[in-house]
Amino acid sequence: MNNRFLINYTPGSTFLHKLNGTTKVIGFIAITIAIIATFDFRIMLAIFLLCMAGVASMRPNWKPIAFMFGFLIVMNGIIGSLMVIVISPESGLTKTGMETVFWSTANGRFYLSWELLWYTWAMFFKRVASLSSAMLFVLSITPSELAAGLNSIKMPYKVCTIVSLAFRTIPDIARDFTDIKNSMMMRGVELEKASLSKKLKQYIIMLVPLLMSSFAKVENISNSMDLRSYGKCKGRTWYSEHPATKGDYIARGGIVLIFLWCAFYIIFFRNMHAPLVDFWCPWVPQEISGYWF
Amino acid sequence: MEKKPIIEFKDFSFKYKIQSKATLRDINLTIYEGEKVLILGPSGCGKSTLMSCINGLIPFSNEGEITGSCKVNGRETRTLSIFELSKEVGTVLQDSDAQFVGLSVGEDIAFSMENEMVPRKEMIPEVEKLAGTVGMEDFIKALPFDLSGGQKQKVALAGVISDKVNILMFDEPLAALDPKMGVATIELIDRVSQDKTKTVLIIEHRLEDVLYRPVDRIILMGEGRIVADTTPIELLNSNLLKESGVREPLYLTAMKYAGCDISANKTICDIENLELSDDDKEKLIAFFHEETPEIKKEPGEEVIRLDDVTFAYEHGKPVVKGLDTVIRKGERVAVVGKNGAGKSTMAKLITGIHRPNKGHIYIDGKDYKKSTVKEIGEEVGYVMQMPNQMIVKDLIKDEVELALRLRNISEEEITERAAEAMKACGLYSMRKWPVDSVSYGQKKRVTVASIMALGPDTIILDEPTAGQDYRHYTDIIKFINKLNSEYGKTIIFITHDMHLAIENTDRAIVFADGKIIADESVYSVLSNDEIIEKANLKQTSLYMLAKKLDLSPEKFIEHFIRYERMVKSGE
Amino acid sequence: MLKKFVGEWNTKTIVAVAIGAALYGVLMVWGSIPVFTNTNLTSAMIVPVVVGALFGPLPATVALLVGNCLADLIGGWGFWFDWSVGNGVLGLFVGLLPLYGADIKNGIFKVKHAVIYTICCLLGNAIAFGIVTPVMTSLFYSADLEITFLQSFAGGISNTAVLVVIGIPVLVLLSKRYASRANLVEEPEELTEE
Ligand SMILES: Nc1ncnc2c1ncn2[C@@H]1O[C@H](COP(=O)(O)OP(=O)(O)OP(=O)(O)O)[C@@H](O)[C@H]1O
Ligand SMILES: Nc1ncnc2c1ncn2[C@@H]1O[C@H](COP(=O)(O)OP(=O)(O)OP(=O)(O)O)[C@@H](O)[C@H]1O
Ligand SMILES: [Mg+2]
Ligand SMILES: [Mg+2]
Repeated sequence: MNNRFLINYTPGSTFLHKLNGTTKVIGFIAITIAIIATFDFRIMLAIFLLCMAGVASMRPNWKPIAFMFGFLIVMNGIIGSLMVIVISPESGLTKTGMETVFWSTANGRFYLSWELLWYTWAMFFKRVASLSSAMLFVLSITPSELAAGLNSIKMPYKVCTIVSLAFRTIPDIARDFTDIKNSMMMRGVELEKASLSKKLKQYIIMLVPLLMSSFAKVENISNSMDLRSYGKCKGRTWYSEHPATKGDYIARGGIVLIFLWCAFYIIFFRNMHAPLVDFWCPWVPQEISGYWF
Repeated sequence: MEKKPIIEFKDFSFKYKIQSKATLRDINLTIYEGEKVLILGPSGCGKSTLMSCINGLIPFSNEGEITGSCKVNGRETRTLSIFELSKEVGTVLQDSDAQFVGLSVGEDIAFSMENEMVPRKEMIPEVEKLAGTVGMEDFIKALPFDLSGGQKQKVALAGVISDKVNILMFDEPLAALDPKMGVATIELIDRVSQDKTKTVLIIEHRLEDVLYRPVDRIILMGEGRIVADTTPIELLNSNLLKESGVREPLYLTAMKYAGCDISANKTICDIENLELSDDDKEKLIAFFHEETPEIKKEPGEEVIRLDDVTFAYEHGKPVVKGLDTVIRKGERVAVVGKNGAGKSTMAKLITGIHRPNKGHIYIDGKDYKKSTVKEIGEEVGYVMQMPNQMIVKDLIKDEVELALRLRNISEEEITERAAEAMKACGLYSMRKWPVDSVSYGQKKRVTVASIMALGPDTIILDEPTAGQDYRHYTDIIKFINKLNSEYGKTIIFITHDMHLAIENTDRAIVFADGKIIADESVYSVLSNDEIIEKANLKQTSLYMLAKKLDLSPEKFIEHFIRYERMVKSGE
Repeated sequence: MLKKFVGEWNTKTIVAVAIGAALYGVLMVWGSIPVFTNTNLTSAMIVPVVVGALFGPLPATVALLVGNCLADLIGGWGFWFDWSVGNGVLGLFVGLLPLYGADIKNGIFKVKHAVIYTICCLLGNAIAFGIVTPVMTSLFYSADLEITFLQSFAGGISNTAVLVVIGIPVLVLLSKRYASRANLVEEPEELTEE
């Protein structure tokens, strides 16, 4: 079960794995804020490298990770960028402040500029950084730690149990689906040797029993929770949230630094001395971009 | 000492909102502090409903009409919240799968402590202790998806003992357990009930197994009413068991066959302490020497062959290893063994749901590698262990007819075959009911009916009798045996129920830790101490009876089976 | 009204929302066909319909929000808040069912309700993917507005298609199911057979 998803149900043993839920959750929030706050390629690159170093330190199975990045490259890197180039080639100018056209069609409707390429690249890279941070988070945390971590940043515990319960039921749902599929096949529905459209139709038909069987569990599960005093107290303790260790304090120190940097960056560089255009571009001079460096 | 009433029902009735008739009727019942009470009754008679009334799920989570009064510890349950009640009552629900809400064994055991805001420091040793009590200490970090049904049941048990509650209720705690675990569970429950402030209620169909440790009282229910409220001795001496469809212990049956007088015997409840008078002994030995016809069956041609089959869910951790066996046409085979030994996995391999990593499976002499599950399904039908795994339709009738409809059979024949199967499973009168408003045992019967209606050449039944009362059990087994004897169908029972294996199969395949450790007649398996030990089986009470008489257990069991088949065929 | 909107947040609702979120996550990852960048034709859209019908709009919203994050977590394709929030808003509109009298639990779902439901789906998609998501996308990723609208439009269309084409039959089915769940009586076996 463990290797079917990216997220791990059992805790790993590397430094990052061993941090507690709270540290992981606030770390992820800090990095996310940093990514959202900036359009500066250099900062995004730094975040990306940091996150990938973290991912690598956990010695993950690289196959699904490579697949995710591949998917992103095709969807956002290639198709997304092509769309920008076709639909609004002028965004090179609006986003970076300059336009150096090096190719254009006769009527001038379609053209390419270096700044346009840079803009699509930087925008794509922002998504890459975002994905790498998500990857870091997903690979390091277990669902129980996630629930406990969210609770410790004052998320109501009922919401947190929704998260952990959802994770509890995901494999069940996957299993139910297999069971429904098998039970239908054993009783005479051909799925293995059927045409694609037939398969698709059968899968849609199987959606109904899947919904039914999933929601039919509600009663039993909630009964068993009620019987074990769920919702009795105002709060809840967490079996899976181990107390912070030395590693956590070190990591939290780093996280505080990221927060401070975000605050400084947002106040100083995005408000007091906000750049004139969104994207930093290496060859656009400071007077035009408004970027300090 | 004055006994303190702890649970009191007075003229109590309950009707589920969607039912037109009351499920519980005129219940008058008092249970005293420190008692250990067994609740018996046919499936669907309202035992689980009665429990829901005590733990507060009715009316807290089930809508319906209540009349009369139900008091727990002197307070009317209707006026209490479920939390107040949960301080008094701990319940192990019937469906062990749904009860598992944590993401690991430890977390699930800790669930109620988490809700009570017990600090983590205290929680950890407590969880370890509780896991140890039920023998799951090596699995604290295990995920729910990797546990067998029996293991989940143990976790549920641990979760409840953790509660510092005074009333403990167990809804069919043995249903999914192998015989040895069953014994261990009964011992565990007994240890808990030694504490005289704890009141214990057990619902169970396996009377013989529960009586392994003494109970104070037995309450017999039928159709929503209390039929009898007596002591075990009185119950065993009366005809009530037969009348209300509960199976009596095997040793009693043997003694009755031998013509022993059991009404005078005060030690009748428990085979271990059973005292036999000289007269009884004489009669039993005479019974043993009676002539019985030999059971002989010509082996048919081979239908299923497993050839060195190995399979792993996770790479490197094979769940079944090197399975080799042949099943012949018209055979009735029992597959028995430990929880988690790989019995259900073998069934899934035979039906093609999983494919062997190594080795081959032949069906009718053909390697099934290239066949689809659907194609295999035409030869081999499989009733899965958990009824919820199979049910896809909303109404009972539709579910039973589903497979028939997929096979271009005429409408008349569909109706006829479905009706026959539903009647055999005692579902015909509720054929238009939605599946999720029937009891667990009834659901199980729905799945059995749906495969029986289809009638493939080989039928694998995974725990067909779990949660069934004796009457429905007999009806189902009769129907299956008819399929076997009249139509020559091959039947494979996967079961923890040794009665079932003894009475209805010719051969037992014994599993332990992913391997087949024995493949021989049921009575020789059940009189072989080594196999019993390895496969978590249990000596039957017949074995112990034979020992008391200094007879060969193997021969005695064989004689008993022959005798019983003779009596049954004479009926 | 407010109570219908918020729904009853008892344990049952919590479990239902959690299961809804899990279903959404599973179907999003394994039950979708990508049609455009960041846009799927997904069977997961059926989840807010069921949760909304049985528990009300707010539970549907939470199920969608959590489900979206969950899908991001198991799929591991990064957190795209712009789309999660958009989906949440959509869930709110889809889940409005009990507010205009469609009482699935008591078997009430008429043509009138189907019409209002369709309008709600259209409106919800328009607001969620016509306003909320594009604004957030251009804010977070400084993406080109025109393209963002185009993407959202594709998302809106495919969602509406699923919501209407699969959603309405499911609602009809559900309401029938609940309607049949009353006054169960045992029917005796006919004597003609045997
Ligand atoms: N939630 C429910 N809604 C409506 N009817 C129900 C519900 N649960 C049970 N019933 C009905 O009440 C009757 C008694 O059910 P109950 O589950 O109490 O039986 P039981 O004695 O525990 O049976 P089993 O041994 O099979 O578990 C059944 O006929 C069933 O149809
Ligand atoms: N889908 C699965 N994924 C991973 N492991 C599994 C899966 N199903 C079963 N197992 C593991 O395989 C082993 C054998 O399981 P199986 O269900 O075959 O046991 P069983 O003999 O039928 O037990 P029981 O008597 O409790 O039903 C168990 O250890 C179980 O944890
Ligand atoms: Mg029951
Ligand atoms: Mg099994």
